[in-house]
Amino acid sequence: MALAQLSDVVKRYDSKLTVDHVNLSIREGEILGLLGPNGAGKSTTISMLCGLLKMDGGSIVIDGISVAQQPLEAKKRIGLVPQDLALYEDLTAWENAAFFGKLYGLRGGLLKERVQEALEFTGLADRAKDKPATFSGGMKRRLNIVCAIMHRPKLIIMDEPTVGIDPQSRNHILESVKALNKLGSTVIYTSHYMEEVEAICDRVAIMDKGHIIACGTEKELRERVAHEEKIVIKAGNIAPELIRELKQHPRVTRVEGESDTVEMYLPSSQSELQDILFIFAKHGGVIQTLQIEEPDLETLFLSLTGRTLRD
Amino acid sequence: MANIWTIAVHELRRLFRSCSMLINLFLLPILLIFLLGSALSSVMGGGKDQTIESFRVGIVDAGNPAERSQLIGNFLKSPQVAEIITAETADSREAAVSGVRSGQYGYAVIVPAGFDKDMVTGKEAKLEYILGKNRTDNMIAGTVFDNFLGSINYKQAAAMTLGPQAISAMTESGQGNPAAVLGKLNDGAPAYTASQYYAAAMLLMFLLLCGQMVITSLYSEKDNHTLFRIGSMPVKGRELFIGKMLGIGLVSVLQCASIIVATRFLFGVYWGNRPGLLMLVCLLMIFASLTLSVIISMFVRSAALARAVLSGLTVVMTFMSGGMAPLPDAWVNTGGAFSINHWGMKGILRMMLESPWAQISGSIGMLSLICLVLGSMAFFSYRKVGYHA
Repeated sequence: MALAQLSDVVKRYDSKLTVDHVNLSIREGEILGLLGPNGAGKSTTISMLCGLLKMDGGSIVIDGISVAQQPLEAKKRIGLVPQDLALYEDLTAWENAAFFGKLYGLRGGLLKERVQEALEFTGLADRAKDKPATFSGGMKRRLNIVCAIMHRPKLIIMDEPTVGIDPQSRNHILESVKALNKLGSTVIYTSHYMEEVEAICDRVAIMDKGHIIACGTEKELRERVAHEEKIVIKAGNIAPELIRELKQHPRVTRVEGESDTVEMYLPSSQSELQDILFIFAKHGGVIQTLQIEEPDLETLFLSLTGRTLRD
Repeated sequence: MANIWTIAVHELRRLFRSCSMLINLFLLPILLIFLLGSALSSVMGGGKDQTIESFRVGIVDAGNPAERSQLIGNFLKSPQVAEIITAETADSREAAVSGVRSGQYGYAVIVPAGFDKDMVTGKEAKLEYILGKNRTDNMIAGTVFDNFLGSINYKQAAAMTLGPQAISAMTESGQGNPAAVLGKLNDGAPAYTASQYYAAAMLLMFLLLCGQMVITSLYSEKDNHTLFRIGSMPVKGRELFIGKMLGIGLVSVLQCASIIVATRFLFGVYWGNRPGLLMLVCLLMIFASLTLSVIISMFVRSAALARAVLSGLTVVMTFMSGGMAPLPDAWVNTGGAFSINHWGMKGILRMMLESPWAQISGSIGMLSLICLVLGSMAFFSYRKVGYHA
């Protein structure tokens, strides 16, 4: 059953289509990863989903309520964790949470209970009386989440919540997302970090240039590129001629060369491996390691768009 | 309504957390009123009636003894003038200057040679004044001799254009209508003091500056990205806006009350006997400031520029209304009339003088009209431009 449904959603800036007839169904209880490079239209889609931007076409329905027709009712069901920290630096963590909690309609004992619960959930209970100015980047990100979950929303939207933080805080946040989902919230998680999406999401929608170009479980998406393999070779003395000849190979679909690493995609590594090793030997490339990787979401994105996620 | 109140309380909490804001709001106005009131009390007077005491004026007639001005002599002998000015003849200009310096004379007048002859031939009458040490004596003597010259020149001009009979006609028509009536413009209350004047001026200036808080608040929500978060919450845009205005308006009312109470008890500033009307003028000023800052915020991109625009407007309007230094009435009533402060100042000074309602109502009416115009402009700017992240 779909908790949120986007149908033919369109958004234009001047004459440019930023979101181009997007159709997406978010199932109740799932974590949906929205993956795409910068400028793909993820944040614009999220903004329309939250009622922050007006659509130029199509409809969005959350829990049976139209965002366009009953925005306030729809917003009660959403908790947005914005990409940028949205906090008052001059108020304490508790006061920040309490202010946003009140705007969600929480009052009195219930407000106190929910603020305490959310702070404990994110591990900030002992810093409740401190101001965010004294927090680390990761703690600020966690407080950013606190302010969006106190009213126990049905749909939590996290827009790149791990940008610019240390691995420990990132893991904490990813665990929090999983825990929130287990508590019954549906989560939309946007990121351009493929590993994060692969780690926590039930389904993944890949967006590029305003379109949803693929959507499904990780397994389903991997199967779409099962015919392609990725070979990563670490080597010394990688000459430009070597890269050029690899690119000219009829079975190699794409080559990326750095100072000591060459990545290439080809339908089957087994049949072509001899050729590749020969090219390396011919141009004096000294192979140190060779790795054949399973296709991943990055491979899929590359296969669909010809670009990497971080291009 | 709950959201509006939540946002208003939130604004109050944030404003009262800022030390610099508290100093600007509550301490700076009192300090400025004290400094300006003390420094400029001699310019404004002390609010009490003064008794004019007779003082000596050195008269230097530069002509020959045979040609000494009879006009001046007769004028100084008139009983009204003799009551105030004791004329003493000085031998020369140097003697007059020396006498003024030593305190022998309170003032000195140099009558040019051939003064009477010039008058008869139609030349303009001129006198040279040497000012003494006492400001009041200078003012009195200056007024007396200026009036004398003005009257002579006026009659001379009438005689030259209309003929000698015009002078007798003017004299007849002027009988029974004194040129000046001794009395007070107020309704029995004392004249206002420098402290009162500057208390009113500073109150109005700081109420206009309360718009700075609106600008800071509106822009900080954008800069903190909190406006983006609030936009995703079940809060109407107008609730956020009204809540902010309400919170800042309440702080401004507190600021206003603190200035009035503090100046009353610390410096004895008398604010008149109409507290209700005083409050109305203050509320109208606060409203004008809030709406003005909203209009600026809607069209200016950065907070710094918006603050500079509002500060600039406030300083210019305060100056034009005579709030920084008393300006000539002609300036204040022409250029100053285009400032918001002018009407607030006029109203409050009238209240301080306990003037009747008829003399106050015009200022309040004008201030209300300004608020109506600014309110409408703010409303339409908000509808047109909006307040978005």
